[in-house]
Amino acid sequence: MIQILVYGAVISAIYAMLAVGFTLIFGVARILNLAHGSFYALGAYTVYALTAEAQLPLWLAAILAVLLVALFGIMIERVLVRPLRRRSMLAVLLITLAVALMVEQVLLLIFGSEARNVPSFVNTAYHFLGVDVSGQRLLALAAGILVLGGLWLFMQHTKLGAAILAISQDAEAAQYMGIPSDRMYSLVMGLSAGIAAAAGVLVAPFQTVIPGMGLLPLVKAFAIVVVGGLGSIPGSIVGALLLGYTETIIAFKISIEWSQIVSVAAVLITLILRPAGFFGKRAAF
Amino acid sequence: MAKDPAGDAVNAILAVEGLNKRFGGLHAVKNVSFAVGPGTITGVLGPNGAGKTTVFNLLTGFISADSGTIEFDGQKLDRLVPHQIVNCGLARTFQLARPFLGMSVLENVEVACLAPRVRHEGKPRLRAQTLLDQVGLGGKSEFLVDVLPYGDLRRLEIARALATRPKLLLLDEPFAGLGSNEIKPLADLIRSLHRAERLTILIIEHKLREFMQLVAEVIAMDFGEVVAVGSPSMIVRHPRVVEAYIGNVELDPSTLPGPDGRNGAA
Amino acid sequence: MGGPIRHIDWLGALAALVVLAVGPWFSGSSYVIGVLTVALCFGIWAASWDFMSGLTGRENFGHSLFIGAGAYTAGFLNVKFGLSPYWSLIAGPLVAVVFGIGMGYPTLRLRGPYFALAMLSAAAVMQSLTIIFSEYTGGQDGLNGLDPMLDSTLAYYYLTLFFLVLTAVILKLLANSSWGTLLRAIRGDEASCQAAGINVTFYKIASLMISAAFAGLGGVLYAHYQLQVGPDLFAVVLSINIIIMVYVGGMGSIYGPIGGAILLNVLTEAFRGFSEYRLWVYTLVLMFIIYFMPQGLIAPLWRKIRLVMR
Repeated sequence: MIQILVYGAVISAIYAMLAVGFTLIFGVARILNLAHGSFYALGAYTVYALTAEAQLPLWLAAILAVLLVALFGIMIERVLVRPLRRRSMLAVLLITLAVALMVEQVLLLIFGSEARNVPSFVNTAYHFLGVDVSGQRLLALAAGILVLGGLWLFMQHTKLGAAILAISQDAEAAQYMGIPSDRMYSLVMGLSAGIAAAAGVLVAPFQTVIPGMGLLPLVKAFAIVVVGGLGSIPGSIVGALLLGYTETIIAFKISIEWSQIVSVAAVLITLILRPAGFFGKRAAF
Repeated sequence: MAKDPAGDAVNAILAVEGLNKRFGGLHAVKNVSFAVGPGTITGVLGPNGAGKTTVFNLLTGFISADSGTIEFDGQKLDRLVPHQIVNCGLARTFQLARPFLGMSVLENVEVACLAPRVRHEGKPRLRAQTLLDQVGLGGKSEFLVDVLPYGDLRRLEIARALATRPKLLLLDEPFAGLGSNEIKPLADLIRSLHRAERLTILIIEHKLREFMQLVAEVIAMDFGEVVAVGSPSMIVRHPRVVEAYIGNVELDPSTLPGPDGRNGAA
Repeated sequence: MGGPIRHIDWLGALAALVVLAVGPWFSGSSYVIGVLTVALCFGIWAASWDFMSGLTGRENFGHSLFIGAGAYTAGFLNVKFGLSPYWSLIAGPLVAVVFGIGMGYPTLRLRGPYFALAMLSAAAVMQSLTIIFSEYTGGQDGLNGLDPMLDSTLAYYYLTLFFLVLTAVILKLLANSSWGTLLRAIRGDEASCQAAGINVTFYKIASLMISAAFAGLGGVLYAHYQLQVGPDLFAVVLSINIIIMVYVGGMGSIYGPIGGAILLNVLTEAFRGFSEYRLWVYTLVLMFIIYFMPQGLIAPLWRKIRLVMR
C-alpha cells in the first residue's frame, strides 16, 4: 500500500514534468510537439555522455544537460518551426515528428542500441514507512516538485511569466501590447525542453536509457494533457497525478499490460465526454 | 399595407411566441413575440447586444430556446436542426460572411443547390451561375472566394441563401462593414429580389437610413425584449427606441418615410 | 483540387496502370512482387484516408483502426473459423465500417487536433486490447497461418492491383462528384454548410464509413499476403506513415496519395541497402518536402505534366 503511494508519487511527478512542458508549448504556440519525448531522451543521454565521456561530476552534468537541451529546443523552434507556423499546423506537427525521428537515429548512431548506465545521484536506499525506496526515486520526486513549484512562481511573479500567460490567452493582443510573440515562442520551447530534459536526467539512473525511450513518455504526456485540458497547467498536474496513480495501482493489483491501456483509454473517454478536458483551454494557470 | 403585427398571427408566415434564451446569467432574449406577414420586408432594429442575432440563431436552429414556440409556414420549428429548417424554406445569411474558403465562387453557391429541398431541380452548376448573375457576381464565378472583397461576399451569402428557394429570408446586418457606395446597390438588390421572388424578408440592421427606406415594418428590440412594433416613421419617434439610440442616431428626418409612408426627400 | 477529370487524366492513370501491371511480370522477382504488393495495400490505405481526411480536412490519426479491423477479421474468419479467405473480402470492410460508425458518432463535434487525437487513441486502445486478450487474438504474436487466396504471388499481386484500381476509381469519381463538393464545403465552414441546407452529420459519418470500408479491404488483402496478423496493424506508427504518404502525394487528389504510397514504399526498400542511414534519408526527404512542397510531390507534378501535354 505504501509502495503504491510512494511509487505512484514518483511516477506522477515525472509525468507532471513532461505534461506541463508539453501543454506549455501547446497553450502558448499551439504546437503539438512530437519531439517532446526527444528532449526527455536527450536529457538522459546528455547527462550520460557528460559523466561517462567527459568525466564531469554528476551535479554539473545534470545542470549542463538541462541547459543544453533547452538551447536545443530554442534552436528547433527558431530554425525549423517558425518558418512553417504560417503554413499549417500539420506541417509543424510533421516537422516535429521528423525531429523526433532524427534524434532517435542520431542517438542510435552514436550510442548504439544497448541500454546505457547512468550513475545515481543518491546511492542509498531509504527505508520509508516500512518500504524500501531508492534514494534516487525520492530525489526525482523532490526535484520534480521543486521544478514545478519554481515554474509556478515564475509564471505568477515575474514579468516574463505574465507575458507568457498573456500570449497563451491571446497571441495577437499580446503582440499589440508590445510582447514579441516570436521570441517568446522560442523561449517557451526552451523552457518546455528544459523541463522535459530535467525529467530525463532524474530518471536516467533507474530507467532504461535507449534511443527510443522518448516515445512512451510522449504518449503519456499527450494523454495527461488531453485529460487535463490542452494548455492548462493545473490540468496537467491533476492529470499527471490521476494517470500516475491509476497506472501504479493497476500495475500492482492487476497486470502491467492493463496499466498501459489506461493512458490511451483516458484520452478516448475524455475526448468523447469532455473534449476540452477538465480544466479546458482557458485556465493556463 | 400596414398590418397589426402582434395580432395578425393567423396570416403570418412566421409566428414567434414567448421566446426565451438565457446564457448563464444573461437573459439574452426575453419573452419575445412577433409575427411576420408573407411577402413583407420587415426589419429588426436595436442597439448592439439587444438580442437580435440571438433571435435569428433561435429561429434558424443554431441554438435552442429555453421556452417559447416558433411556427413557420404552419410548421413548428422547435426541435429541428439548422439544415432541416433550411429545407423547410427558411434561409439566412450571417453577420460575418462565412464563405467556403478554398473553393470557387460558383462552388460556394453550388453547395446550396445540392440541398435536399432543391436538389431534384438538377444542374446545380447552371443554377448556381444563374443565381450569381442575379446578385451581380456572374462574372466572378471562377474566382476563388478567398480573394473576394467584402461587399461581394455579402452578395455571395445572399445568392447562397436564395439557392435553397426559401419562403423567408433572414438577413443579418447585410450592410455592416460596407462603404457608402456599396450600400445603395445592395439595398436595390434586396428590393428587386423581394419584388421578383415575392420573398418574405426579415432584416437585422442598425444602419438606420438604408434600413428604414427598405422595410415596411420594424420590430424594435432592446435588452432582449421587443419594445415596439410599427412602421418606420412611427418607430423613429417612439420614446423607448430613441432612448435606446441616444448618441448613436444617424437620423435625417428628410430622408425618412413620412407619416403617409412615402419618403420625405427624393 | 484540380477540377474535373479530363481525358488526359485517364490516359495518365492508364499509363501508370500499365507500368504497375507489366513491371512485376517483367521482373519476375518474387522480392519485387512482394514489395509492390505491400505498396499497393498502402496505396489503398492512403487513398481511403485522403477521401475523408484530405477532402474534409478532418485529419484521422487512427486510420490503422480500420486496417487492423479488416485484417483481424480476415485472421479470425480464416484461422479460427476455417472459412475461405474470400469471405473476408466482404466481412473485413463490413467490420471496419462498424468501427467507423462506432467512432464517427462520438467524434462528430470534435474539431481538428481533438478529432485526430480521439481516432489515434481509439486505435491505440484496440492495439492494447489485442495484446491483453491474447487467448483470442494471439496477443503479441497475433494469428498465424492464414491461407493464401491464390496459388501464385504474381496472381495475388494482380488481384490486389485490381482492388487498388477499383478503390481509386470509386473514390476519385466520388471525390469529383457532388460528394466531393460537399465534403470540401464541410472543410470550408460547417455552420455555413448547415445554413445551405446540407446535413453535415450525414456526410461526416458517411465519408468516415467509406474511408473505413476501403481501409478494411486493404487490411484483408495485406493479411492474406503476409499470412499473419498482429497488433502492429493497429499501431499509431502505421497511421502516421500513411499520412506522410498522403502528404507527399498531395492531399485531396486521391491519386496523389496512391503515388506517394508506392513511391515511399519503393524508396524505403531501395534504401534498405543503406541500413542505418535509411531512416536519415527518409527523414531528410520528408523535411525537404514539408518545407519546399506544401502541396506535395505527386499531384502538383502531374498537374505540371498535364499542362505541358495540352
